[in-house]
Amino acid sequence: MLSHFIFLGLFYTVLAIICVTVAAAFVRAFEDFRARRAEAVCWEATFPDLPARDRVCRHEFTGEFKHRTCDRAFDCRECQQHAALVARRPAEAGPAPERYYHRGHTWVQPEPDGTVTVGLDPLGESLAAGPEALELPEAGARVQLNGPGWYARKRGVRLRILAPLDGEVVATGGADQGWYLKLKPLDGRFEMRHLLRGAEVQPWMAREMERLHGALAPAGQAATMADGGMPVADIAAAISREDWEALCGDIFLLP
Amino acid sequence: MSTQPAKPARYGMAIDLDRCTGCGACMVACAVENNVPPARAEATPRTGITWMRVYQVSDRDRAAFVPILCQQCGNETPCASVCPQEAVQVDPATGIVDQMPQRCLGCRYCMTACPYHARYFNWWDPQWPPGMERTLNPDVATRMRGVVEKCNFCHGRLHAARTRAAAEGRRELNPGEYVPACVEACPAGAIVFGDINDPASEASRVARQDGSFRMLEALGTDPKIYYHTARAWVRDAVTKETDRG
Amino acid sequence: MDSQLMPRGVRRCSLPQFLLWIVPWCALLVFGLYGAGLCLVKGLNQTNMDNRFAFGLWIFLDLTVIALGAGAFFTGFLLYILKKKELKAVINSAVVIGFICYSGAVAALLVDVGQPLRFWFTFWHPNVHSMLTEVTFCITCYLTVLFIEYVPIVLKNRKLRQIPSFLVFEFELHKLMPVLAGVGTFLSFFHQGSLGGLYGVLRGRPFAFRDGFAIWPSTFFLFILSAAAAGPCFILLTTWAVSKISGRQLVRPGVLPLLGRISGILLVPYILLKSVDTLVWIDHTAPARGFAAHQFYAWKPFGEWMLFAEILIFGLLPALILLGRRFRERTGLLIPAAVLVCLGIAMNRFVLTVQTLALPTLPFDGFMTYLPSWQETATFLAVVAYGVLLYSLSFRYLVLFPQEKDLPQPRPAHERERAILEPVC
Repeated sequence: MLSHFIFLGLFYTVLAIICVTVAAAFVRAFEDFRARRAEAVCWEATFPDLPARDRVCRHEFTGEFKHRTCDRAFDCRECQQHAALVARRPAEAGPAPERYYHRGHTWVQPEPDGTVTVGLDPLGESLAAGPEALELPEAGARVQLNGPGWYARKRGVRLRILAPLDGEVVATGGADQGWYLKLKPLDGRFEMRHLLRGAEVQPWMAREMERLHGALAPAGQAATMADGGMPVADIAAAISREDWEALCGDIFLLP
Repeated sequence: MSTQPAKPARYGMAIDLDRCTGCGACMVACAVENNVPPARAEATPRTGITWMRVYQVSDRDRAAFVPILCQQCGNETPCASVCPQEAVQVDPATGIVDQMPQRCLGCRYCMTACPYHARYFNWWDPQWPPGMERTLNPDVATRMRGVVEKCNFCHGRLHAARTRAAAEGRRELNPGEYVPACVEACPAGAIVFGDINDPASEASRVARQDGSFRMLEALGTDPKIYYHTARAWVRDAVTKETDRG
Repeated sequence: MDSQLMPRGVRRCSLPQFLLWIVPWCALLVFGLYGAGLCLVKGLNQTNMDNRFAFGLWIFLDLTVIALGAGAFFTGFLLYILKKKELKAVINSAVVIGFICYSGAVAALLVDVGQPLRFWFTFWHPNVHSMLTEVTFCITCYLTVLFIEYVPIVLKNRKLRQIPSFLVFEFELHKLMPVLAGVGTFLSFFHQGSLGGLYGVLRGRPFAFRDGFAIWPSTFFLFILSAAAAGPCFILLTTWAVSKISGRQLVRPGVLPLLGRISGILLVPYILLKSVDTLVWIDHTAPARGFAAHQFYAWKPFGEWMLFAEILIFGLLPALILLGRRFRERTGLLIPAAVLVCLGIAMNRFVLTVQTLALPTLPFDGFMTYLPSWQETATFLAVVAYGVLLYSLSFRYLVLFPQEKDLPQPRPAHERERAILEPVC
């Protein structure tokens, strides 16, 4: 009789553990949606699936690390390493930068009235120029850092442009206006520690350009300037569909 | 009205190998009594169902016959301990190892466990040619395809005997009131059946004789089938380790 | 055409080429299902099993396949419990292989039993003293765990992950993976062991019977060890084979030798314990039950060479290769060593299922032979085909090897030509 209890007891315990684990996952997922954390969770879940070359730590650009992959999904706000390295840097002289850059190739320009303007940087613009469709969020909608900012459809690929900040949309623009979103902060101030600025920007841009050329070179030709400037022709049309999808994924951090 | 005997019995057999002629009447009687379906045309000696099976042992120009049936193992009954569904139960009142075909999954683990190869599987759907179904014994349930079956000391006869005894107001069975079909059919009277616990029974008397032994004693299964022979070579052939080395 | 369903950053062959690969396996599956269908509809007389060979090809292969699928639990244990991060490279593939092995084995078992619809009887009337009850419970639970571990891999498919609820659920489930890995390890420990215990407790079969510890015969522990040793080898072999067939670099160069080393480390205690166990059996256990060990090997072709082959050629030899760094870093030695390990495990399971039944117990009995019927072989081939199909689909549409996108890949032939012919800017 005792062996009966031990055996069945163990079995039902194991079964219970399995059921509770799955139920806990369901409940936590539900909580994530309720707390509107779903977008942040989606980004965190897919970030490790990006190739290592897409996840380079910003401190590699400034030479502070030889090789480092970001393990925080580009959320420098809570990163100990980032805080320590910033504290170690000499105080920045000169006026505050006009534009800050996000790894998803958007720029952020703080406006005097406390809002920010968000647009695509030259590299992003060169890829997504003249989209077949543009889906911008409505005024009043909220965007989350590293969640979807807006969508552009280009040569069959639905590009998801990452939102560079947490904020509420006050106005939307378009490609012809040179900017896409105007955001106002949710809690008074914008958190911008995670955005690239100053000395980081140039090495980052150069590296992204290198990646662009590397992606284009074996497959097709894009007319570029001899000094390695921006490709002027429509890249999307010049390369195969497969390569175009891969390139978009690399540059815009699509999973 | 209880049909259980007051004292637990240990039913067993004593088989005299010197009397067995190998005629096979026990095999036929067993099959008829227990509704064993006739073998299909494709059946082989290894796929047919023979709850009672007579083997031959030879030594140059001599032959002897050994009826093998379920040995009703008493100690850590191998088949009972391995059945995952508890479809094998040892009846504490009689010592008989009962097989429940209606609970059997057909996994055949018990068949691997049985060292006496006394268990048989229904590889086909049981089928009786037209007309032959009239020979079926109404006291014994037929089995279905995909289950294991084996000798249960003609349990149907045990129940019938108990019912008769109870009708007469008795709780004990008289010796000879309950005999399995094979015992009844043997023309040489080679099989003796009875309560081994009862020192007065014929079966326990033969079991205690000189020259009586059990199969595969060293395995420690405590079988209830005793074999008796005065011929040393037969005893050697049946109990010796298979030494082909 | 189906590139939208494929993971980003990896290349796969074209759809027509893929269909060309799939079609013969589908045909094999259909053929195999026909064989299995015959067994289910007409009965087990379609097999060559009989009252003396109650277990045959299916049980032997089920045991082998479950031992090889042990890589799933063991890799999970090493990764999630012991935190060996390098195994992240193969864990997804291991889970899929484990799922295939266990689901295939369960399917084959349902055909093997005489009354498949009564499968639930074991749960309703469990005999807690029977090893087979333990196996049934554990394998059912573990298959559930494997399924739950497979689901996140599927949910991360490129199209499916665009549904936020799938992705969020996957994320939360993945955080709890160590719990499932722990449960999987616990369950696997017991059912791998009980599969060994199935034979070790057979007091009626002195060839297989073993003494042991408490209620568990030595074969219980030997099976766990051998399965843990074989699992990484099987993962190694499948990774290498898939890499060869697809022409892709799937894992970093150090991963396969690491798997080999893990196998090698486990093989050593296994061989030691097995040798001790064999000696104890020869000197003590078998004679106590009335049989001298050498008698069992008197029947051709199952001679004493089998014992030496299993322990030395398929055990010690690959262990030595896998433990030597210079050896295991050479693919030409690593792969054959892994094959030897897997064959050794298969041989071990064969000896305990088929050889045990072939040997006589009653003195006037002879040696039995058995060859599976075409229906039995077909049923097993159906399981193989199912495994290849499921794995192929998973490899094409899911991320089984996360390191693949970061590794330099050999350029496909037509692109290499273009790069040579056309000048680069």
